[in-house]
Amino acid sequence: MSDPMIMLSLLVVLLGLLSIGVWVAIALMSVGIFAMVFFSSAPVGQVLATTIWGQSHSWALAALPLFILMGEILLRSRLSEDMFKGLSPWLGRLPGRLLHVNILGCAIFAAVSGSSAATAATIGKMSVPELKRRGYPERLVIGTLAGSATLGLLIPPSIILIVYGVATDQSIARLFIAGILPGLMLVGMFGGYVIIRALLNPALIPREDAQFTLMQKIKSSRRLIPVIALIAAVIGSILAGIASPTDAAALGVVFSLILAGASGTFSRKMLAEAIMGATVTSAMIAFILAGAAFLTVSMGFTGIPRNLAAWIGSYNLSPLALLAALTVFFVLLGCFLDGISVVVLTTSIIMPMISNAGIDPLWFGIYLVIVVEMSQITPPVGFNLFVIQGLTGINILSIARSALPFFILLLVAVGLIIVWPQIVTYLPGLMNR
Amino acid sequence: MRKMLDALYILSGVLSAGFIALICLVTSAQVLLNLIAKVLGPEYTYSIPSYADFAGFFLASASFLALAYTLTRGGHIRVTLMIQVFNPRLRLASEVFSLTFGALITGFATCYMIRLNIDSYTYGDLSFGIIAIPLWLPQLAVSAGLGILTIAFVDLTWQTLRAGAPVLKNSESE
Repeated sequence: MSDPMIMLSLLVVLLGLLSIGVWVAIALMSVGIFAMVFFSSAPVGQVLATTIWGQSHSWALAALPLFILMGEILLRSRLSEDMFKGLSPWLGRLPGRLLHVNILGCAIFAAVSGSSAATAATIGKMSVPELKRRGYPERLVIGTLAGSATLGLLIPPSIILIVYGVATDQSIARLFIAGILPGLMLVGMFGGYVIIRALLNPALIPREDAQFTLMQKIKSSRRLIPVIALIAAVIGSILAGIASPTDAAALGVVFSLILAGASGTFSRKMLAEAIMGATVTSAMIAFILAGAAFLTVSMGFTGIPRNLAAWIGSYNLSPLALLAALTVFFVLLGCFLDGISVVVLTTSIIMPMISNAGIDPLWFGIYLVIVVEMSQITPPVGFNLFVIQGLTGINILSIARSALPFFILLLVAVGLIIVWPQIVTYLPGLMNR
Repeated sequence: MRKMLDALYILSGVLSAGFIALICLVTSAQVLLNLIAKVLGPEYTYSIPSYADFAGFFLASASFLALAYTLTRGGHIRVTLMIQVFNPRLRLASEVFSLTFGALITGFATCYMIRLNIDSYTYGDLSFGIIAIPLWLPQLAVSAGLGILTIAFVDLTWQTLRAGAPVLKNSESE
């Protein structure tokens, strides 16, 4: 059998196992076992055990449960209630008005939670009923929510970037920093789109009559400011190089506990819920990572990814054509798999192809995350779509249609970072000095 | 027996949460010491020996001990797109297959992890840090976690067969 055929049959086995409900981590591990048994002569069991052990105790990965725990604590400290009250007084004058609460709220919350489904659920629970009550057009309300919630994947500290960093041996600190500018750029693009829509059709957006003085504005966001300061401190300490992501995450947990405690509504029961929630999520991710790490090693033994890279290389595709093909492939894959699984599968099989084509793995990580963001809002398996459907009861296809402009904006963003890779690499480049 | 198994999953889950708390404790203690050295001057530099090693070993223990707890609470990701349109008989068959398959794969991994664990113990493998930690100790948590996960898969297969329908609720998270 030729290598592309072997690859294809392994992919069929993997998708077959996944579609009948085998857990992702188990499916990855078993395909790794098949590949090694049939296409190499290495001792499968020993390699499996050493890989599981070898990748499970890294210091860099220790940031993962801590960032998840930080998010779980802040989630429970009335943050989402404060978000609407805190942001809306500032945005009444901007064309599009309170629709920007969705975008900025998601951006801030994204930094806290690192997961886009959680972001959509938490912000949407507050903002969708409130905005509808005030007469904002449903399509834009749903669209901004679905689109902006995907920012959770990109804006640091991002769980999926930790996964990519650990799976590809890239510095997590540099990946976080690389995500900042593209994240801000997307916030700007989403906001810009709303402004343009509002300017083209002013009747679309209901008037907001309440006027606020500066002091009133600050007062209404007094509970939001410490959270923003916490996020800025966490990201800032990584950017300045005084803390590793794991250090920053531990501090983030301590300070979010202090913030939650000071808010007076945080009970011991909530703390227990937060830590058990973080335990479950991080065990789930660690298990997928273990499966993916073994699949990577097993693929290395079979030599398939190398040959596949050479095979693709023999077509002499330009990096642009390769990226275009990969974007289509990832969006399709993302229709059936969640973001983390797409990332780990990629790193197991496609990384040799990427380095062969001379593409910077740091840049590729950010590119991959934006493409995965796109797949979060495409049917049939966009997780954000499911979450918003659960929240509003609106049909999933009509949610997808509302989200379409934001899908296109994400595609434009991919184009922008291809044309100007500096958007990604500029800030991490500063860290070297 | 039922009660014992459920208690086992919860106990390992709580233990795992304790390890996450320990990672946070060790790391923030070290950050505090760094801060003290920054403020008071380099002669006050203290560090917790091998703290990064400890954090890593706590992480491995936390990740693996929580596997069964996570499974029983529907925390592990699976693709539900297809199985939710299956008819009840097909759904039962796919559930039993997935669970048995999970038991086989994790059972296989557990056996070899225990062998690695025994090797580390017999050869006295140590970590490379200032404090040399015997590797079999954190590996024990990994072996135990995988073992408990295998037990949970077998247990869930049995429960599903007896109930004649899937007993696990599915999480629809990212």
